[in-house]
Amino acid sequence: MALLALAAALPLVIVGAFALGSVRLPLGGIVDVLASRLGLVAARPLDPTTETILWVVRVPRVLLAAMVGGGLAVVGAVLQAVFRNPIADSGLLGVSSGAALGAVLAVKLGLATTIFFALPLAAFAGAMAAVALVYALAHSLGRATLHGLLLTGLTISALASAVTSMLLVATEEYRVKVVLFWLAGGLDGRSWPHVQAAVLLILPAAALLAVFARPLDVLSLGDEEAASLGVRVHLTRLGLLALASLITGTATAIAGSVPFVGLIAPHALRPLVGSLARYLLPASFLGGAILVVIADLAARTLNEQMDLPLGSLTALVGAPYFLVALRGSERRA
Amino acid sequence: MSVIETRDLVVARGGKTVLRGVTFAVAPGDGIALVGPNAAGKSTLLRALAGLLPAEAGEVRLKGEVLPRWERGALARAVALVSSEDDSSGAFTVAERVALGRYPHRGPFLPLTAADDAAVERALAHTGIEPLGGRRLETLSAGERQLAALARGLAQEPEVLLLDEPSAHLDVGHQLQLFRVLDEARARGVAVIAVVHDLQRAAAWAGRMVLLADGAVVGEGAPADVLAAAAAADAFGVRIHAHAVPGLPHPLYSFSEPTR
Repeated sequence: MALLALAAALPLVIVGAFALGSVRLPLGGIVDVLASRLGLVAARPLDPTTETILWVVRVPRVLLAAMVGGGLAVVGAVLQAVFRNPIADSGLLGVSSGAALGAVLAVKLGLATTIFFALPLAAFAGAMAAVALVYALAHSLGRATLHGLLLTGLTISALASAVTSMLLVATEEYRVKVVLFWLAGGLDGRSWPHVQAAVLLILPAAALLAVFARPLDVLSLGDEEAASLGVRVHLTRLGLLALASLITGTATAIAGSVPFVGLIAPHALRPLVGSLARYLLPASFLGGAILVVIADLAARTLNEQMDLPLGSLTALVGAPYFLVALRGSERRA
Repeated sequence: MSVIETRDLVVARGGKTVLRGVTFAVAPGDGIALVGPNAAGKSTLLRALAGLLPAEAGEVRLKGEVLPRWERGALARAVALVSSEDDSSGAFTVAERVALGRYPHRGPFLPLTAADDAAVERALAHTGIEPLGGRRLETLSAGERQLAALARGLAQEPEVLLLDEPSAHLDVGHQLQLFRVLDEARARGVAVIAVVHDLQRAAAWAGRMVLLADGAVVGEGAPADVLAAAAAADAFGVRIHAHAVPGLPHPLYSFSEPTR
């Protein structure tokens, strides 16, 4: 039921986000432009302003918000199951700090201003390099236990952050601003190539995670029980974490840091759809998508002079929500 | 004809040899209490029987075939391990957790069938936790969670049921219930091997007792005989006193520290 409601709500929210903004677009105009772009015959001649604002600016931005939000929420739900901890998030594996380091390197070396897409590519490379390093180190310490992964992830994160700070200090001021904007998270100026990247990477990875819902459930019972039920624990975990890292790396490369989505969406939805991954993962995708589409709408409409940073908005809303939720669960326990 | 047996089984854990040549055999319907002092290798033996720890030397045979030759899923359909530690986050409901016991039968992708649902319901009924089916694990007591873990093992419908300290968190009423459930499983032909710390409880329940000390079997047979032998007293470093009580089928035991 809740899943159906979410599935119905997402298109409504998306269309609403198409219409709202610094310039309000009429619903009829939106339908015309979408219809003509999708190869259907338009009933009326298109209004060029509406077409430009909608197709060049808003549609890619809103679609990105939905995919980034949905992807991060699914990753949150998966990591919480794998680590058997309701406050596990994508920051754990060093993805975010690795992405930040990659982005800063790209800016520092001047690539970001000369080569299109260099910053997201470098961020993505940084994220993947950090995760690979975490895996490799955790494995070299013995079998990659949960503990080993967690501690290595934290260590690599701290290390990457330290290097990022040192690089930032040594970077010219005007370049620092580029990084800061990216770190604060946002979808300002993102366009169709970004959408293509998200469609190619985030959507298939999220779908694959949903396909592996039942092994994920078994894995969340603990390594020993999962193994005794016939799950290849280490291989399954490696696969799930690799997919989660791919989504996080892509989302972070596209939108910078968008914190708390992976915590809030699964946490809010568990009471409605339960904890079985079969229901929780699709629900989290839809919920996370709705959350970030709305947050991005707020980011571009609350202040008329300039966009607010999306990542700061999700944190401003997410942190208090999470504190309240935490108090509630402490009281129940 | 044994369903599972070990021969000269040597198993290491964390680079240290824990089992040093264990040989014993278990027939369908057997109820075996695995006893021994701490660090004797009881839990290690259970995990080796479940195929979770490899044999360094010797072998474990399940239905005549050595464990490494068993396909993972088939092994999980034949052998279930229920540990006293519940590592799950507790967000699942009891029914959801028990249904995961059907994983070896359905695999990662196939939906559960009516037969699976029936097995889950039977497991809930046998353990007497049907009323808790919709409750989340984190809202249950340790004892109730333990019964849920046992129900998961029963839902697996194994031929060999391995239990590590199944009564650790249970009050006396639930302990009696637990061992009755195990006896019912034995009556269906399931071989039950349980690590039991409480020697009194082990002696009252088990058809056979296997005493491990320092990674080797030092006593095996009827509980009264095993506990009467000098090996038992030596293994635990205590004196064991058996008291016959008129009307009781088995002696009561008391223990004292050895006199110096």
